[in-house]
Amino acid sequence: MTRTARGSGRAAARKAGKPGKAAPAVPAAPAASAPRAAKERPPKARGSHAARTDPRERLRRVLFLVPYAVRHPGIPVKDLARRCGCTEKELVEDLDFLLGVGSPPFAPDDFLDLYVERDRVYVALHQSFSRPPRFTESEAAALAAAAQGLGGEGRERAVEALRDAVPRDRRASFDELVGRIYAGAPPARDSVLGRLQRAIADRHSVKLAYHSASRDAETERVVHPYTLAQRFGHWYLYGHDAARGKALAFRVDRIRDCAALPDRFEAPSEAELARARLFSEPSGEPVRLRLGPQAAPWALSRPGIALAKRTEKGGAVVEIRGAGDEWATRLALSLGGDAEVIAPASARRHFVEAVRRTLARYEPPGS
Amino acid sequence: MQKDQRLLDLAALLLKAAEPVSWREIQEQFPEDYGGTDEAAIRKFERDKADLLELGIPVRYAAGDEDLPAGYLIDRDEFYLPDLKLPPEDLALLYVAGSAALASGAFPYSRDLAHALSKLSFAARAPGASEAAAFAARRLTADAGEPRPEVAQWIEELSRAIALRKRVHLAYLGAERRERTERDVDPYGLFQKGGAWFLAGYCHLREDIRTFHVSRIEALTVNPAAPRTPDFKPRKDFSIAAYATREAWEYDVHAPVRCRVRLDPPIPAEVLASFGPRARTREEGGGAVIEVDATNQEGLLRHVLALGERAEILAPKALRERAREVLSTLARRLA
Repeated sequence: MTRTARGSGRAAARKAGKPGKAAPAVPAAPAASAPRAAKERPPKARGSHAARTDPRERLRRVLFLVPYAVRHPGIPVKDLARRCGCTEKELVEDLDFLLGVGSPPFAPDDFLDLYVERDRVYVALHQSFSRPPRFTESEAAALAAAAQGLGGEGRERAVEALRDAVPRDRRASFDELVGRIYAGAPPARDSVLGRLQRAIADRHSVKLAYHSASRDAETERVVHPYTLAQRFGHWYLYGHDAARGKALAFRVDRIRDCAALPDRFEAPSEAELARARLFSEPSGEPVRLRLGPQAAPWALSRPGIALAKRTEKGGAVVEIRGAGDEWATRLALSLGGDAEVIAPASARRHFVEAVRRTLARYEPPGS
Repeated sequence: MQKDQRLLDLAALLLKAAEPVSWREIQEQFPEDYGGTDEAAIRKFERDKADLLELGIPVRYAAGDEDLPAGYLIDRDEFYLPDLKLPPEDLALLYVAGSAALASGAFPYSRDLAHALSKLSFAARAPGASEAAAFAARRLTADAGEPRPEVAQWIEELSRAIALRKRVHLAYLGAERRERTERDVDPYGLFQKGGAWFLAGYCHLREDIRTFHVSRIEALTVNPAAPRTPDFKPRKDFSIAAYATREAWEYDVHAPVRCRVRLDPPIPAEVLASFGPRARTREEGGGAVIEVDATNQEGLLRHVLALGERAEILAPKALRERAREVLSTLARRLA
């Protein structure tokens, strides 16, 4: 068989095999309306786009897209695109591309067949792509590193299971990669983090003993835990506080104790989560620090610290959003005397007081 | 034919075949791809096989016997993502951990992580709460306003270079000397500390293993030559975990000095733990005295100062005096 023969055989087969199915699908179906045309286009017609996107990325995406669509018949184009992490336009291009995939002898039934009908995706023939392929070693290693970073109790089991899900020939590479990333874990907080993770996964409410920075007192909170997020080097729990009637962020290192309650809560709607913010909008004035030339480069390379202005001899004034007075004092002191808190007034006072009281520890009594 | 299409066609053929497919048959089915001289065609086919394996699709050669012909095949059990043999809570945890990592904006292999999370919904029968948690985590960090796209990009490129063991060339802004240097580095690994990412590797400029703050990298190029051939072998004794868990006062600056720190009660667990696994703790009057061997006393000083009035350096005298000096200079400036 020559290339042309095979090519035209494919195209002819597709044309002959399709009209019955394609016709009703036409109205809102860009993919189904011109699939063969897309296939017939020489590769360069899609050139600029193809050059921009890594072809391997597309393959990885479609190897997930097909089985996902098989499992969720009639999934809206929009939802499938979101699941695949691409735009709707890219998804429709992927569907076009997939229609050209098949195996010898390239009879109509030897091709993949996905179609769009009223903005929904259906799979008529999946050609055994009914489940995604195994994890690549870097996929599995990235997940393993993430699990390690969170320090859950099931980490060892998870790494073992991930390893088993990598093709046999790549397991040695997986082992090596796992040894090359260390996402860190705050060991002292393992148990609180671990319990929070389980509660999130099981959708159990939690009772927290929480040190509220604004009131400088420990409070008891009942929270529906939605998720964990890491910002500026701190873990935050984001969840719905029943007594306050709204979703809030809780610094995990201020949770002294955490207990799962027996009752389960309903998963929050996506609309509710779409409004989620880690820091409430009027989080007040950002904390400002003045830094000397020694401290400035170090502080500026830390996440969450923004440059407000450069000062003479390589110093800087920096701003930090969502930081409390105590946190600001600790940061400034950790810079070894080359930094001071300048705003807001309350943070400045806190800092001045802390310096005075700490210094007193080093002064002989009565001096 | 486009390569991505050829790879999928090949996978479809081998998945469907009831028995191993011979090389001759593959050549017949893909005439312009694997036609031509045998040697060139086999090389191309071997590259395609390697590409498929990188996608998680193992193509195997079966030598054949009296029942089966010799040829290539994809074993379905070896191809399909298996159910992870984990209790459902562990699977949910994995989902939450992966989502939180992805949401942090910069994580090694973040594109792979995104694919892995998608696939996990097949391997884990992920409960709705976990998917919702993932969505929320991504949402929470999407608008957190941390415009450091280059850090995410460096981490992505470094993770590739680490996996393929390719040398990188860095333009690096040193914090101590505040000067821009250029150097070749063999990237050994990435670690996270205090929310920031660090590269550890063999530095050809300093001729030793060095740590680099990823956000201080100004430019980075991965050696483009022979992308599939490793440039180096990491030192046998190197351990990223040991590197990552080094405390600031354990950096190699001077000979070890025994230091003592007093902590006042109540001592939160995380403060106690912040002195690391090698610290010795003795309870005293409700509080505690911590003893560490420091090879960088300045690091210990900063750590103790950050704890504020709850902590005090007891020994050595010189370090205690230095703490007093730093604080009194500050106090004078603030007065």
